[in-house]
Amino acid sequence: MSRSAPYRRKAMEHHAKRYGIGMLFMLPWMIGFSAFVAVPVGWSMFMSLHKVAVVPGGFKYDWIGLQNYRDAFLKDNVFPIELITYFQQMLLMVPVIVIFALLISLLLNQKFPGRFVYRALFFLPVIFATGQVLSELFSQGAGDIPFLDQYNLEPLVRQYVGGELAKTVMEVLGRIVLILWYSGVQILIFIAGFQTVSPSIYEAVRIDGASPWDSFWKITLPASMPFVSLNMLYTIIDLFTFPLNPVLKHIRDNMFKVDTGYGYASALAWIYFAFIFALIAIVTGLFSRSMSKRRGRA
Amino acid sequence: MSASIWLQKAGKQAKGLLWGRRVQKAKMIVLGRTLSDGLLAKLAIYALLSIVAYLYLQPLLYMVSTMLKDMSDLLDPTVKWIPRAVTWENLSKAFKGLQYPVALRNTALIALSCSLAQVLVCAMTGYALARLALPFKGLITALVILTFLIPPQVIIIPLYVIFSKLGLLNTLFVFLVPALFGQGLKGALFILIFRQFFRAQPASLEEAAKLDGASSFRLFFRIMLPLAQSACLVVFLFSFIWYWNMYYEPSMFLANGFTPLSIRLDNLEDVLNPSLLGNTHFITNPVTEGTKMAAAFLIILPPLILFMVLQRWFVAGIERTGIVE
Repeated sequence: MSRSAPYRRKAMEHHAKRYGIGMLFMLPWMIGFSAFVAVPVGWSMFMSLHKVAVVPGGFKYDWIGLQNYRDAFLKDNVFPIELITYFQQMLLMVPVIVIFALLISLLLNQKFPGRFVYRALFFLPVIFATGQVLSELFSQGAGDIPFLDQYNLEPLVRQYVGGELAKTVMEVLGRIVLILWYSGVQILIFIAGFQTVSPSIYEAVRIDGASPWDSFWKITLPASMPFVSLNMLYTIIDLFTFPLNPVLKHIRDNMFKVDTGYGYASALAWIYFAFIFALIAIVTGLFSRSMSKRRGRA
Repeated sequence: MSASIWLQKAGKQAKGLLWGRRVQKAKMIVLGRTLSDGLLAKLAIYALLSIVAYLYLQPLLYMVSTMLKDMSDLLDPTVKWIPRAVTWENLSKAFKGLQYPVALRNTALIALSCSLAQVLVCAMTGYALARLALPFKGLITALVILTFLIPPQVIIIPLYVIFSKLGLLNTLFVFLVPALFGQGLKGALFILIFRQFFRAQPASLEEAAKLDGASSFRLFFRIMLPLAQSACLVVFLFSFIWYWNMYYEPSMFLANGFTPLSIRLDNLEDVLNPSLLGNTHFITNPVTEGTKMAAAFLIILPPLILFMVLQRWFVAGIERTGIVE
């Protein structure tokens, strides 16, 4: 290059001065990222393409290409069903959680004496929604709503939803309360989101004669659309380690099985990630499109 | 038209007008000008919230009521909510079964040390992303978000191998080391919270400190970190709760030593009924139900007390840190 050496050294010094402190602050995270995220991600990808056997003193890798992935769908008679069932449940659970959080936060956002008590009540489950505590409650059948049995809703659901889906719906309904326990943080995000709309807008449309009903649909809801998408993403991520996620257990079981091992278990995890990532991409895509449309109109 | 008829009509109209105003006034009190100030709306809100809150907290009530039932009450289906005789036997059994003092110490140590580490490291990282010059800042921010999106299932196997090679398995450090390097539980979220917080601070503060000759580290530890007190507290509290409640990672990393409460609860059935070894998951055994609920109660008790003391900070915290913007 035509640049002279002293010039380059000076430029490097300049960069070191400029970026040095920032890099120093970032250093812990960067070490952590490479050691506990980047390497594991690469390794896990590598494992998923191999048959991994544990031998004394390390691992033996045999390249088998995409065989693990093929096996997951063709040979494994548990995993595809579990994955599909879990996804059906999740597709139902995420909207239910987000809509519930939206409704509750709308109510909690009203000004009435004692609302702080209610805010605390609805946040309470975040404190004790331990995986283990939850699955104990689940297994004892706590957390269904009483009118499910009282009004015998099951045939009704079966009639209107039909077939296999009805089973999923009933399963979700049977645990609805505990599922709704996953909405504590989302409620807080919504309430915080409502504060970003200035009260003068509500004042203005009220003078123009808009009813509260109108101002909800025309102002509150569009303004909280970004928070809806944020909450959807948060809910999807929060459900990764949902105690009833059957994929968790299946991966762990296969990890310590001799004939499948780490390679196969990694492939399962990657398939799961691919599905999740597709879901996240769809959610962000949909919402960013609707939001940019709105911005275009404004 | 005669005058008298006209007058009568006008009187009627005036009366109607007065009546109308009265109705409107009543309507204002009952229905309110906006959705929330009417009496009716308030009553509706209270009723709705109370019903939902009752349903919402029912499992908790179930937990407490089951915990206090003795054997005959547990087996008797006619006893639903209120036990005929209150027994503390379940609690003492659970206390022993969980090895409560040891497990509590383990859980508390993990939650406390990791949360403190997270506060410090996430604040530093967030500050760097918000205020300091960095090459490829956009890319780094994207990577931070990416670490949040990767399901733990994907990296748990290599992590298991790495931790076992480092000899960290079944010790406190299996969680403390990642937390010290910014990869703790939901660390990415906390980094983003701090980034948002530091971005909202006025730049003049830093300029003034720089003019006075403070180094960047002094500036951060003496000015910015104390300034971020509220964000620090929120991050600490959430981190504490999430470390306390986590169970997937410890079930992999802490299965054979330094076991926290959540893993002990998992093994409780085996402890209570050694004859049923294996095959005990998701079987409801009415005999041990009370003890398990007592154990669950013992686990959630400490964070519950913490929440009651610091309730204000949890609920107002997210608004105050301005995470949503």
